[in-house]
Amino acid sequence: MSFATDSPSPLHSSSSDDFATFLDTALDSNSPSHQDEIQNQDDDDDDDDNAQSVRIKRHKVESIEETEASTSEGTVKQNLVVAEESVEVDVCSHPGSFGNMCIRCGQKLDGESGVTLSYIHKDLRLHDQEISRLRSTDMKDLLRHKKLNLVLDLDHTLLNSTMLMDLNSEEGHLTTETDSLEDVSKGSLFKLHHIHMMTKLRPFVRTFLKEASKMFEMYIYTMGDRPYALEMAKLLDPGGEYFNSKVISRDDGTQKHQKGLDVLLGQESAVLILDDTENAWMKHKDNLILMERYNFFASSCRQFGFNCKSLAELKSDESEPDGALAKILEVLKQVHSRFFDELQEDLAGRDVRQVLKTVRSEVLSGCVLVFSRIVHSALPSLRKMSQQMGAICLTELDPSVTHVVATDVGTEKSRWAVKEGKFLVHPRWIEATNYFWEKQPEENFIVKKKE
Amino acid sequence: MFFHIVLERNMQLHPRYFGRNLRDNLVSKLMKDVEGTCSGRHGFVVAVTGIENIGKGLIRDGTGFVTFPVKYQCVVFRPFKGEILEAVVTMVNKMGFFAEAGPVQIFVSNHLIPDDMEFQSGDIPNYTTSDGSVKIQKDSEVRLKIIGTRVDATEIFCIGTIKDDFLGVINDPTTV
Ligand SMILES: [Mg+2]
Ligand SMILES: [Zn+2]
Repeated sequence: MSFATDSPSPLHSSSSDDFATFLDTALDSNSPSHQDEIQNQDDDDDDDDNAQSVRIKRHKVESIEETEASTSEGTVKQNLVVAEESVEVDVCSHPGSFGNMCIRCGQKLDGESGVTLSYIHKDLRLHDQEISRLRSTDMKDLLRHKKLNLVLDLDHTLLNSTMLMDLNSEEGHLTTETDSLEDVSKGSLFKLHHIHMMTKLRPFVRTFLKEASKMFEMYIYTMGDRPYALEMAKLLDPGGEYFNSKVISRDDGTQKHQKGLDVLLGQESAVLILDDTENAWMKHKDNLILMERYNFFASSCRQFGFNCKSLAELKSDESEPDGALAKILEVLKQVHSRFFDELQEDLAGRDVRQVLKTVRSEVLSGCVLVFSRIVHSALPSLRKMSQQMGAICLTELDPSVTHVVATDVGTEKSRWAVKEGKFLVHPRWIEATNYFWEKQPEENFIVKKKE
Repeated sequence: MFFHIVLERNMQLHPRYFGRNLRDNLVSKLMKDVEGTCSGRHGFVVAVTGIENIGKGLIRDGTGFVTFPVKYQCVVFRPFKGEILEAVVTMVNKMGFFAEAGPVQIFVSNHLIPDDMEFQSGDIPNYTTSDGSVKIQKDSEVRLKIIGTRVDATEIFCIGTIKDDFLGVINDPTTV
């Protein structure tokens, strides 16, 4: 119904009667469902009169239209044209919705289909086809800028947080050492009174973000809730350069206790993930670079069952130039340069997961390992790790063996290693190598005599 | 569109507000209650501009509260389909951009941004024409056309388009 445009211009209306009439018709043609009134307690005679007159006016208008339609051929034709146009509008595939209206044609949509992108706006939803369309345009844009996507976990990857009340007496010294919240870009230890937390940024994180942002579009993806995630983003990115509307929290995920790339507007073949929790990414292990956990506070050591002093208690910290983030930045640089400079395939056909696999497989290439009396439950994962890093794992000794992995110097294989001048290393050598993507010096992982 | 209209509301007042300042108390409570709220019918109440009439109070049994019917003039804002609005861009991303016009949140998807404007990621994400002459980024002022509206109790959502003649950037923050 096109009555809205025919009515006297409401801009000049001075009486609320005209306004109500205008609204009634405008609303009737758009959304008869909206009757949510604020002042619904009104039950006055005056109001009734008002409504009555509106009804009469509307009735009049309708009858005029009716007579017009029946007497003049022109009007009938016009109506037909309008009908055709509306058919055209209906063709819209409704690629997504904002406040339950189609983002393309504005039509009201029912139901809640599609993926909610609440980290961008709580009322924004997109359909799968639209997401894949955006992903492919995103891919082109990224590749043109020689960039890939990087998804970053917060806790134990980029930083460590603790509740203030969980600080123990040996960590008490921290409360006087916190940095100013005035200019967070200069500090690394922050007391956030309003959320009752203390946060320590991992050493090297600022350089890491700066360097990584040249190669990647970066997202934060945390199992923390939204307010926490935004608070942390402010500490990591006070200038808002890196994570502008790319902070995803557990409130935004589509599955409980799982992180997924489905809310991400990037193609999976161009995404790398840094996270200390492998199990959060069951469907995307090939995209994952597993991070060594950063446990600065005693409360998080306890959370993971470590019975040792925390870095805070020891008044120590991870190394800035040789810590996990510095090492992983090197890996990222390597993967990035291989993806863009060394691969032969057409850009669109390249897959960063494949590159990651290749880089990983070179870490221990040339090493031949034999495991000696390793706890049964730990063996499969150590073996898998070693193989992914390019090592060959044998079950029996032979001259090609380069390393014996054991926890006990007394075993037959361990004694053989010592006698033959082979490396005898603790299983932690494999784990450390796995975290740092670099063969670790064997002498740091000597197997000690059992007492 | 803005409208100057007369609305009515039944105000409940606690007896402690009675006395010489009764009228003032009623008016200030009215302002606090209605300004900044929305209704599906009238839109967003911008400001109360005057009192037409305060009716006789009715004492509520048991509580001592008194209900006054108050007729007041106010300015309301309600966007309509087809209306042209000027708005400030609040966020730009590859899906399109969000803009605000007072209480109204508007989303303009990239389907409704002219085809010659392309998304540019980076520190300041933006949509730019190939010759670089027109740029939409955060804080840009744009003129857009509303193609869909939804009015909630506290929020007004709109779908907008700038894919039409005379729509688009009217003020570029980088040139100010
Ligand atoms: Mg974590
Ligand atoms: Zn649609």
